[in-house]
Amino acid sequence: MIGVPWAKESKQYAVLRSNALNFAASELAPMADDLENTVDSPLFWKAVEKAGEMGMLAALVPEQLGGEGVDLYSLCVALEESAVECAGFAAALLFHNAALVPLVYSDRKDLVEEFTGGKPLCTVATAGELALEEGRVRGSAPFVFNVLEGTVALLFAAAGDGRTAAYVKMGTEGVETRVDPYPLGWRVSNFATLEMKDARPVFVLDKSGKEALAATERTLYLGLAAIANGIVRKAFQKAYDYARQRYQAGKIIIEHQAMRLMLARMLCAMEEGRAVIRRACGSEELGPAIIAWRRAGANACQAAMDGVQIHGGYGYMRDYGMERLMRDAKYCQMFPRPEEEQLLRLLDMAESGS
Amino acid sequence: MLGQELSETGKRLFRDFPILRMLWESGRKKGLRETIALIEKAEEFNRTFAVPRALELDMRMEREPEYFDWDIMREACKYRFLSIFIPKQLGGIAGEFMVTNTSLLMDELCSGCSGIALAVGAHSLGVAPVITSGAMAHWDTVLKEIVEGELKRQPVTMAYAITEPSAGTDVEEPEYLERAKLSLEAKKVKGGYVLNGRKCFISDGSEAKYFTVCAALDRNRPLQTWTTFLVERDMEGFSTPRVELKMGQRASHAAELLFEDVFVPDSHVLGYEGDGMGNGILMIMAASRGPVGSIATGIARGALQHFLSWAKTKRNGKRPIDEDRIRMNLADMWGMIQENRGLYMSNAMLGDAIFGKALDNPVMNLTLSLPSSLRTMPLMRNFLNSYYGKAMINAVLRFYIKDEDMTQLLETASLAKFSCADNAMELCSRALSIMGPEDSEERRWVEKCYRDAKLTQIYEGTNQLNRMVVNNIRFEETLRVEVPRPFKKGVMA
Repeated sequence: MIGVPWAKESKQYAVLRSNALNFAASELAPMADDLENTVDSPLFWKAVEKAGEMGMLAALVPEQLGGEGVDLYSLCVALEESAVECAGFAAALLFHNAALVPLVYSDRKDLVEEFTGGKPLCTVATAGELALEEGRVRGSAPFVFNVLEGTVALLFAAAGDGRTAAYVKMGTEGVETRVDPYPLGWRVSNFATLEMKDARPVFVLDKSGKEALAATERTLYLGLAAIANGIVRKAFQKAYDYARQRYQAGKIIIEHQAMRLMLARMLCAMEEGRAVIRRACGSEELGPAIIAWRRAGANACQAAMDGVQIHGGYGYMRDYGMERLMRDAKYCQMFPRPEEEQLLRLLDMAESGS
Repeated sequence: MLGQELSETGKRLFRDFPILRMLWESGRKKGLRETIALIEKAEEFNRTFAVPRALELDMRMEREPEYFDWDIMREACKYRFLSIFIPKQLGGIAGEFMVTNTSLLMDELCSGCSGIALAVGAHSLGVAPVITSGAMAHWDTVLKEIVEGELKRQPVTMAYAITEPSAGTDVEEPEYLERAKLSLEAKKVKGGYVLNGRKCFISDGSEAKYFTVCAALDRNRPLQTWTTFLVERDMEGFSTPRVELKMGQRASHAAELLFEDVFVPDSHVLGYEGDGMGNGILMIMAASRGPVGSIATGIARGALQHFLSWAKTKRNGKRPIDEDRIRMNLADMWGMIQENRGLYMSNAMLGDAIFGKALDNPVMNLTLSLPSSLRTMPLMRNFLNSYYGKAMINAVLRFYIKDEDMTQLLETASLAKFSCADNAMELCSRALSIMGPEDSEERRWVEKCYRDAKLTQIYEGTNQLNRMVVNNIRFEETLRVEVPRPFKKGVMA
């Protein structure tokens, strides 16, 4: 089938990919647009339940702690396939999974059970300015996903000279949320800014925190890269199908070189995305994950934009499903931190050998 | 001395567009004062009306795509933006810098909200074929109605309908039109034509009272039979069954037009049968693609304003603009905007050089100075609608509008259109990437600009089509705009 990268995967991942794609096709595809229009809908929770049955919740948590114990590449595979149909839902899954990563380092089975037992998904806040002082969290964090009453958020916060992370439960004293009325993309769950006014954390990472934070970040960057790659694939599939049936200027448009070039670039982007994600998953370092995120995010933006262009006027209209890709793709590039800031950080990391 | 004569707006315009200063120094002060006054109005429109409601309206249009805020048009009446393309002799405000003013106006309005600006601008796109076709029989009726409605703040609007469900790019280029799969067809019947089929994505389509509609008389010979009609909303069989939910520029509707046995009388043919491409679409595109470039520029400028505001706001004691990378990005963005302005102003000024003489010359002035009641007498109307009447008006227009001028105008317009649109998209995209995950009003604005900008790469011919037009005119010389020759036998066939 056109649109499947050439790079072959082991049987383990191929099976996982196939299952995840089936999940996306049966559970997410029919309601992707509805999910976007109704935050916190029964449809959303039905899909979450199915994702749980697929082992996509607590995926990285070892079995002995009550999770699935899969590797990071497996999670990326599941996210990429989910994102083919609904990037917003895939992002919701990613933030939930990433938020649980530090618990693995703290060996806290009780917290895993507590955080994953209820209805709301967990989430993670990496942006903004939060500080942990005297056991309380202060400051604000924008762009937090999955924000509902009862959501447990993993907050990256400054503490002393360094940084740590703390889990804070929505709806508790000192935790305020300001829902963004109109986010550009990923519109399947509440998207909010958190205001922490001396909020008391449920749990604060101990001295293993640095390692846990790096692992969480790595999960976030690679997960976002995988979601971005899912968007590239969807953009390619839709644009390719459309180009084969739309007639313009005397022939079907796939016969026009300008269209073929755009499609070919998407094909390259798919391969490139898959390659950088695989490579970064094979490394324990954060740098390759950031590089993968950067490449895949830029590719997704370009592919979605080209996909809209190939569709012409139809691509710009909600009913044809292309414009959502363009909006979702941009958030893959803007989150969790601004691109240029991360580029500078990469050089700093290389210079310091970290 | 220059400073004493100019308002703050004038000073800003002269700083941003040094060529305007050159014109001022060359003695074109009267026209430029009108330009400055127009942009002052646009600034006030944005400040008092468009900007305060843009984000809320954008959100509302997503929930209720069929809603239309008529206050936009009423407010536009207040500033007389609906007659920007209607000559002064007919009561409008179009003067010697008609195209330049339109471009500058769209740049300014779009820096506030391109959706609201499009609702206003798309109307003028509908008006343009009535002017450029020389359909003088309708100048005293339709255009006058628009002007009178504007003065009473009871907006009467128009829309231009080209795109069809299976033909977007195809209907904007002669070579492609020959092979287009068309939906709409006009059949000649006694006393007029019967139209059947559909148009889609028509800006202002669900609000306009009058439509300038392109249709083939024979779908197997579309180029030879492509004709422009004036259609009225209340004509039997005409309806607008669908409004699209767009990603951006939402304040203006994109509507589907449905024609079911719509009878259009002979008098409502604009220009001649079969001249709908050369005298119709290509001439309109030559005048309208430049302003689309200015729409893109306005969107980019709006994004830059919000980005700059973000960059200058302190966060935890630091301002983003204190970082070199932000300062360099700002300079890049300003460079893109000024590059755009160079392109669309080249097109606009060429447009004014061409159309200015065609609409402001002794013959036209004499004709338009006749009492309106004389021009609207049945005898006169019949003459103006007749072959010889149209030929006479066209002879005047033809005297001033040359094929090579229109071809050059189309080239500059297409170049401005795709370059400005690409720059705008790049600027908005870059601004968002740099801002990153921000909880700020500025980010919401730039996100809107990002959605809005994409449409400028699509409408008025996709950027791919516009690139082909530039190539075909500039490098291969295979595309040439042919203004119809009056009195030439066969032109009515």
